[in-house]
Amino acid sequence: MNPNAAEETIQRLIFSLSELEQLGKTLISGHSNFNVSSKTYLRITLGTLQVTRGAILRFHPTGNHLTVVTSTPDGVFSPIPIEPDEVASLLQLPSIESACPPASLEAFLKRGAQLERSIDTRLWIPLKIQDEFLGIITLGELFGRAELETWEKELLTTLAHQISIAIAYSQMVEGIQGEKFRLFMLAESAPQICQLLEPEAAAEQVVHQAVSLLDANAGGLMLIHPQRHELEMHYAFPEIEAPNNGEPGDDKTFAIPLPEVEASTPGNTAPVANTPQSGVIADPVLEMLAGVVKEGKTFHCVAAANTLFSGTHLMAVPIQGRNNDILGVLVVGDKEERGGRITAFTDEDAILLDSFAKQAGVAIENAHLHQEALEARQLQAEMEEAQKIQVNLIPDRLPDIPGYEVAGHYEPRGAVGGDYFDCIELPTDGWGLAIADVSGKGMQAALLMATLRAGLLSELSSGNARVESEPRNIKKELIDMALTLNSLLHVSGTEEKYATFFYSHLNPETDMLTTLNAGHNPPLIVRSDGSCAWLGEDIGGLPLGMFPNDMVPLIAEYETEQVKLASGDVVVFYTDGVTETVNVDDEYYEEERLEQVAKACRDTEASDICKGVYDAVMAFQGEADQFDDLTLLVLRKK
Amino acid sequence: MLNKFDIQIRTEQEHAVIETAGYLNDALGEQLSEKARGLIQDGYTQLVINLEKTTLINSIGISILIEIIEALDEREGTLNFCGLSATQERTFRMMAIAKYAGIFPDEEAAIANL
Repeated sequence: MNPNAAEETIQRLIFSLSELEQLGKTLISGHSNFNVSSKTYLRITLGTLQVTRGAILRFHPTGNHLTVVTSTPDGVFSPIPIEPDEVASLLQLPSIESACPPASLEAFLKRGAQLERSIDTRLWIPLKIQDEFLGIITLGELFGRAELETWEKELLTTLAHQISIAIAYSQMVEGIQGEKFRLFMLAESAPQICQLLEPEAAAEQVVHQAVSLLDANAGGLMLIHPQRHELEMHYAFPEIEAPNNGEPGDDKTFAIPLPEVEASTPGNTAPVANTPQSGVIADPVLEMLAGVVKEGKTFHCVAAANTLFSGTHLMAVPIQGRNNDILGVLVVGDKEERGGRITAFTDEDAILLDSFAKQAGVAIENAHLHQEALEARQLQAEMEEAQKIQVNLIPDRLPDIPGYEVAGHYEPRGAVGGDYFDCIELPTDGWGLAIADVSGKGMQAALLMATLRAGLLSELSSGNARVESEPRNIKKELIDMALTLNSLLHVSGTEEKYATFFYSHLNPETDMLTTLNAGHNPPLIVRSDGSCAWLGEDIGGLPLGMFPNDMVPLIAEYETEQVKLASGDVVVFYTDGVTETVNVDDEYYEEERLEQVAKACRDTEASDICKGVYDAVMAFQGEADQFDDLTLLVLRKK
Repeated sequence: MLNKFDIQIRTEQEHAVIETAGYLNDALGEQLSEKARGLIQDGYTQLVINLEKTTLINSIGISILIEIIEALDEREGTLNFCGLSATQERTFRMMAIAKYAGIFPDEEAAIANL
């Protein structure tokens, strides 16, 4: 060795020692993230060995590929796939020369051709700690010489070992950070979700927390709808648009009937119904949901793209309430790793999600119970308001009709219904007696009843039902009035909202009673001789508001009937709360008992008949609960 | 909002503000990392990251934020966060991010404390 060369070698050795010290400092500096510090490691390696170009690649074992974390010159490189047998070969070799690679690595070097061209790679040095492959450092052309000297090769081995330690340390720190994050999120999520008392907000939070906790990219919460027997989507991330069938009332919610889910139970060969809603769901997803609902344990599946949960790699766990009953299913999808690759959920992930779901179940149950309590309170307030409206619509006292007695009774029982009766003096002459029963309960029923009453009073005051000498005219006017009221109620309510209605026009001068029945219980007429008949029993007439007017003639037209009353005759108008009163043996009061009582007390005053019937019904009812109002209106010819 | 990814950058003479929107996972995190690295290379070592529109972060998002802190630390720069939810703030403190970066309620305070 000539003196100049020896001096140069000594200088480079001194430089190398100082750079090695720098490398050590970088390692213990607290810059644990290798993606940040890798540039320093590469600079030191290239400087120490006097190489102009190079790169450091990091191995991702779950994806079986290498990514370039830093390079000189800078560049953007695609990940390089690597096979397990190629990893095994790399672990056996200290270095690989690009010019003469072993046969087992030729294919790998071909896949890394983009990097090889950019760096002009001469050497590939595996980065490893014992049998764990961590990456590769590549070196380009040597500055001013053809190959590394022996001491340079030894130095390179030391540098590679240092870089390997840095990668392993970085991986360990990343792992600890990830676990720390998950444990914190798990501990943090429970009190946070439990504070949410609104079911929708709780569902959204549960899905968000689960997605974040599992490094997932998709998630969803489906809860069992107890009444509809469906598994219903409450929140999905990313948000997805449910199919809209374009039908009125379509709330754009994904729902799968539970029988379909049950039919998809793993191992069950029953065919799965292909409903429009479930048509978009791949069978593996249904099977997964079925497994969770039926068996109450964790299930995984790989679904086709664009399924119910957006993701393809899915994991689902049961959401259970306090009594371990299954409330629904929590799903996460597409777990990602650094670099964006989607990977399968591990057993540890399943345990983590299950722990989270246990907390979430209690929170969701709490939110639903809170919501139910709120709704019950709201319903109670509504019922009280409805009751006030209804009571105000029932007349306090009935008018005196010359030659007649009239008495009425209204008894609210259970939830607020929609019974109504009235006796109205007409503007010209005559009297109108009305009784009605509005479908449904609560405020809607009370409002519909108010609408009916307002419509009736309006019709009567406008003279539509004015008495005419010709009976045919009265009949026509009553039918016209029924159609007007039908139209009014039809536009005021929904299909389920309607009213049965019985109207009687009394002419006290002629003692003629003209009646129209719109689907109501036929009133009972008890003659003075004790014979009985049911008014309007044989004539048609749909309840008011059920169908539009143009459909009425196609189903059952409104008709009228006329009877002449004689002294001592009694007419008992009533709602189904009378005849459908049940006793403790679940027997109905029925028309027969009404007839017997009315017949027995027909010779008393109208108010006594009314009381007699009421007392008899109450005696029959005994201790049994009732859910429908009871209304009576009694007319008696003196 | 969570379905939408977005990164907005505003640069002033001395500092830059990065505003993110959406789920801070690998995809958004890598974009954020790239933008932050670009700003650091351009000499912006005083950064504010506003996470007001990012209500969801996973562990990869956290590791990318730590990476940005380390990259800034190499240049002796400063990073302040703002717009964090209460949970995010607790997470940042627990993950020791708060030891190396400031946390402030709003952008104005975050910029004032760079």
